[in-house]
Amino acid sequence: MAETILKLDKVTKVYPNGTVANRDINMEFEKGEIHSIVGENGAGKSTLMKMIFGIEAPSSGTITYKGQETHFASSMDAIKAGIGMVHQHFMLIPSFSIVDNIILGDEPKNGIFIDRKEATRKTQEVSDKYNFELDVTAKVSTLSVAKRQKVEILKTLYREAELIILDEPTSVLTPQETEQLFVQLRSLQAQGHTILFISHKLEEVKKISDRISVIRNGVSKGTYRNDELTMEQLTNLIIGRDLENDLDEFKTNEDFHNEKALIVENLSMERNGKPALNNVSFAVKKGEILGIAGVEGNGQVDLVRCITGLEKIKYDGKIIINNTDTTGMNIKARRDLKMAYIPEDRMGDGTAGKLPISDNIISTYYTRDDVNSGMFMDGKAIDRISNDLIETFAVKTSSNKTAVGSLSGGNIQKVVVAREYNTKPTFMIAEQPTHGIDIGSAEFVHHKLIEMRNAGAGILLVSADLNEVIDLSDRVIVMFDGEIAGYFPDANDINESNLGMYMLGAKKQTAEEIGGALND
Amino acid sequence: MTDRSEKKLNLSITNPTVFEAVKMIIALLIAFVIMFGVLCLISDNPVHAFVTILTGPFAKRRYFGAVIESFIPYAFAGLAAGILFKSGAFNLGAEGIYIISGVAVAAVACTAVTTSHFLHPILCILAAAAVGGVLMIIPSFLKAKFGTNEMVVSLMLNSIYSGIAMHLIRKYLLTKTTSTIGSRDYLKTAKIGYIFEPLRISPCLVLLIVCTIILYLVMYKTRLGYQIRLAGANPKFAEYSGISAFKLSIATAAIAGVLAGTGSACQLLTQSSFYQPDKTAVGIGFSGMLLAMLGRNNPIGIVIASFLIKYLEQGANVLYFSDTSVPSEITAIIEGIVILLISSQYFLRGLREKKLLQEGLGKNAR
Amino acid sequence: MLGNIFSSLFKLTFLLTVLRMATPILFASIAAFVTASAGVANIAVESIMTFGALAGILGSYATGNVWAGVAIGLLVGAGTALLIAFFSMRLGADPILIGIALNTFADSLSIFFLYLATGEKGTSASLLTPTLGSVDIPGIKSIPVLGEILSGQYILTYVCWILLIVLFIMIYKTPLGMRMRACGLNADAARTAGINVGRIRVFSLVLSGLFAALGGMYLSLNSIHLFSKGMVSGLGWMGIAANGIANGSYGMLLLSALLFAVFRGISIVFSQSAVFPVDLVRAVPYFAVFFFLTISSIISYLRIKSGKVEEQ
Repeated sequence: MAETILKLDKVTKVYPNGTVANRDINMEFEKGEIHSIVGENGAGKSTLMKMIFGIEAPSSGTITYKGQETHFASSMDAIKAGIGMVHQHFMLIPSFSIVDNIILGDEPKNGIFIDRKEATRKTQEVSDKYNFELDVTAKVSTLSVAKRQKVEILKTLYREAELIILDEPTSVLTPQETEQLFVQLRSLQAQGHTILFISHKLEEVKKISDRISVIRNGVSKGTYRNDELTMEQLTNLIIGRDLENDLDEFKTNEDFHNEKALIVENLSMERNGKPALNNVSFAVKKGEILGIAGVEGNGQVDLVRCITGLEKIKYDGKIIINNTDTTGMNIKARRDLKMAYIPEDRMGDGTAGKLPISDNIISTYYTRDDVNSGMFMDGKAIDRISNDLIETFAVKTSSNKTAVGSLSGGNIQKVVVAREYNTKPTFMIAEQPTHGIDIGSAEFVHHKLIEMRNAGAGILLVSADLNEVIDLSDRVIVMFDGEIAGYFPDANDINESNLGMYMLGAKKQTAEEIGGALND
Repeated sequence: MTDRSEKKLNLSITNPTVFEAVKMIIALLIAFVIMFGVLCLISDNPVHAFVTILTGPFAKRRYFGAVIESFIPYAFAGLAAGILFKSGAFNLGAEGIYIISGVAVAAVACTAVTTSHFLHPILCILAAAAVGGVLMIIPSFLKAKFGTNEMVVSLMLNSIYSGIAMHLIRKYLLTKTTSTIGSRDYLKTAKIGYIFEPLRISPCLVLLIVCTIILYLVMYKTRLGYQIRLAGANPKFAEYSGISAFKLSIATAAIAGVLAGTGSACQLLTQSSFYQPDKTAVGIGFSGMLLAMLGRNNPIGIVIASFLIKYLEQGANVLYFSDTSVPSEITAIIEGIVILLISSQYFLRGLREKKLLQEGLGKNAR
Repeated sequence: MLGNIFSSLFKLTFLLTVLRMATPILFASIAAFVTASAGVANIAVESIMTFGALAGILGSYATGNVWAGVAIGLLVGAGTALLIAFFSMRLGADPILIGIALNTFADSLSIFFLYLATGEKGTSASLLTPTLGSVDIPGIKSIPVLGEILSGQYILTYVCWILLIVLFIMIYKTPLGMRMRACGLNADAARTAGINVGRIRVFSLVLSGLFAALGGMYLSLNSIHLFSKGMVSGLGWMGIAANGIANGSYGMLLLSALLFAVFRGISIVFSQSAVFPVDLVRAVPYFAVFFFLTISSIISYLRIKSGKVEEQ
């Protein structure tokens, strides 16, 4: 009795800059099922959802909803057709009541006024029908995150959505709240709704789904019934490594006497009342690359923020850089301890787009002697240094005076890496260092990182790209849900699907095993 | 690879500096065309009017001299606003600083602190600069520390200083004339004379040039200037690079205040012999902001812009003698149009993007 | 002597003075408020008031009809607002720079047009223009105390009070108002709800221009049918400051505006008595704005620091 409600036929999406986000995707969704779509970040899940929901249009292929080909000009059309979406980042206005958030854009009217009575009645009716247990007159700001998510779901139901897409809904929920959500979803299913559940958390996907579709590198890896698929098989489908790229041949192994460039002891941190980091301990030795593997959003950003001191965050525990306790130190003080930092947001934090390369490429060491001559900055030296770096790092530009903002992404990143490299650091944090840049530039960055490692720097590599982590690192830790889930003392010895299970929350080591991250 | 063998000058519109210059020229042309249009509407002899505005100051030596003498305080105000805008601050307090440091000037000028004709003006200038440097910090401090809206605060302070200045003059330095509030006459030793009388060139011009050069060097050759430019371009990036935003805003405001105070002293000691708070200094601070925008926050550009605008205003003044149908405020139209156009990022952007695309495809660069 | 002054503050005449002073500040405040609600900043309020004041005078002189003058003033206000919208939204100029430029030009441009119209640069005194005058409401006039307050105000004051109520209703009770507030609070959420954020913001700018123009015309068209250079004297900025203190609350907006009006009233009373130095008294309202704005930001700062309120 499987009736198809949504069908994707050879759906392909190519962006103007040439990126192929989805290629020839064939998928079918049955009415009344809970269907999960899994894959890593950047695999193409979000693009696929955008096309289903009308935010983008496919470059080729067709999407058929309830027997009719869809030609949505915007998400409004999708909503009218009966498709609803709960975004990962809530689209709510905290100071508005639940009712106001729900009716925004489609307000019941009484003359020229909003008919609040009718709006409240109708909203409460829908809420009660699905047992949401919400007082719809409450302000959203008073609600917990889980309740806010309910409001988002309520939005779709108010507009009579039959197909509801949930994008990483459990990323903001505690385990208990996740259970409640699942109860809710099953209840919706019982009332005839179809659920598309997008997630990278395997345990949950295995719990809630009827069927599971896997996307990897923009391509569909098949659709399977939940009971026909083991955890291991699933992990392999998601994180199968394609390229064997051994950078070991470039690594030298001088003896740095086990000196530690960075020590993190019992780091814990709260965000909005929820623990964001929980008792994280590890060390980065001089002359090694320690990789932090993990899907984005499991505490890596908070970890980096605490270590760099860029924002004045309150945390418990100790961070020791180059044998100095950095409690209370801001980023300037930490940089003075010979710390370098390649930030994730190269345009927002890492560069000033309006300024020329020569200004950008010295910003973190502009007080150094080699860049100054007495009272003034040494323009000739800066020229020479920036031109040398441009050449060494193969930055494609006609002049060192070009504004950084006009370079391509890969070249901007090379400017950032060149700068941090030239601070001759003892400790370096590389945060998503090759995110969104071309392969050539990425390879270049990798080689430079290894060069620094060989010279004695301790590098903390944070990346959502598993290939990158395993290729570059000497040792690896896995973060999941703000904690270290696993520690691997030898990157060469790692079984990818095993690592994947840790990344996706399916496995966790004992405290003793994890202790090696700090004590080895 | 960097094409270092190809060191030719990139004169195409894809070079950002060239692009800015082109924008400026086209904006000026558009402004002049519109001004001519307005002249046609209000004057019987628009061509004569147009030509006079552009060439009037050359008619007599004292006309040109008036330009040289009057543009100096405006240039200082422009420099002050320029450094603030460059750092990303919107402290509009230069106006009030001109007024209140004028009191300092008058106070020192009217008192016999020294008999040296050389030292007396210098002391006046120092007093004004000190007062300016300190007071200008207030709005920037409040913004850096508490996030207070520095624009409104600085504007309110302008009016407050105006009141305080009037009060102080009235109470302590009042002269016998009753039509307007003015201070006593300065002592002769305080007045600044001319180096070259026919063209009204005074030592203040030298002072302006020196200050401009120093400011240019600071902004583009020192670490402080580097920090200011970085913070103005991307505050998050500046913080990431370890630059202290707080100290920077204070330092910037202090420098701006010193410049404003100096400009005020220059104006008072060369152009008048007593101080009238509500006549002499009014509007200079605000004009300075416009000049900073015209000069794109570059010290040399600002001084050139100040001279040009004052030149045009004088041209309009000269015109007024022969054709009273055209008020001298007509130059405000030019300023306005040019500022609106050159501040618009997308102005002529389409043209430039086309050129960039052509070059990119041709060179196969990316 | 001092006692006399302070007691005069509690007389009815003082209250009436305050209400009179409040009108232009209220106009400026809602001008700043309405755009802020939609998520745009209009810092050119002061300049639009100047242009509106002049346009009203010149318009009513040219047409011989004061209401036509009002219409022309409103057109100028809306037109300036559209200019700001065009240059900031379409051509990508920094709206703050545009605002600063406009505010600085307001004086010279208005003198320019004033001169063209009257041959003078200081005031429009030479023009004999009709005025708007005040209105007596027959029934209410006879109520003791309240009657004197509610009746006999200038027409534009009544317009102001009506607008305050209408604006309140629009912003909090109509779909348009709710969408406007959504644009200001979370533009992304508004967009996903299908709202055209750009169009709403332009609309809010136009409203702002209209309110500001009315504020300016209040100054020039009531009974002293006069435009003089610099007559707005900071009232526009008081409106912007009131909006800054209000932080989104309509009630606080009105209270702040009234507070500033009280200080203007105080400064007038004090200056009439010649007990305090007249120049310092003149500066009192500006000092009040400075003071309350600073206190308000210090309070916000302390609240965020102590963790009570989440940083936006």
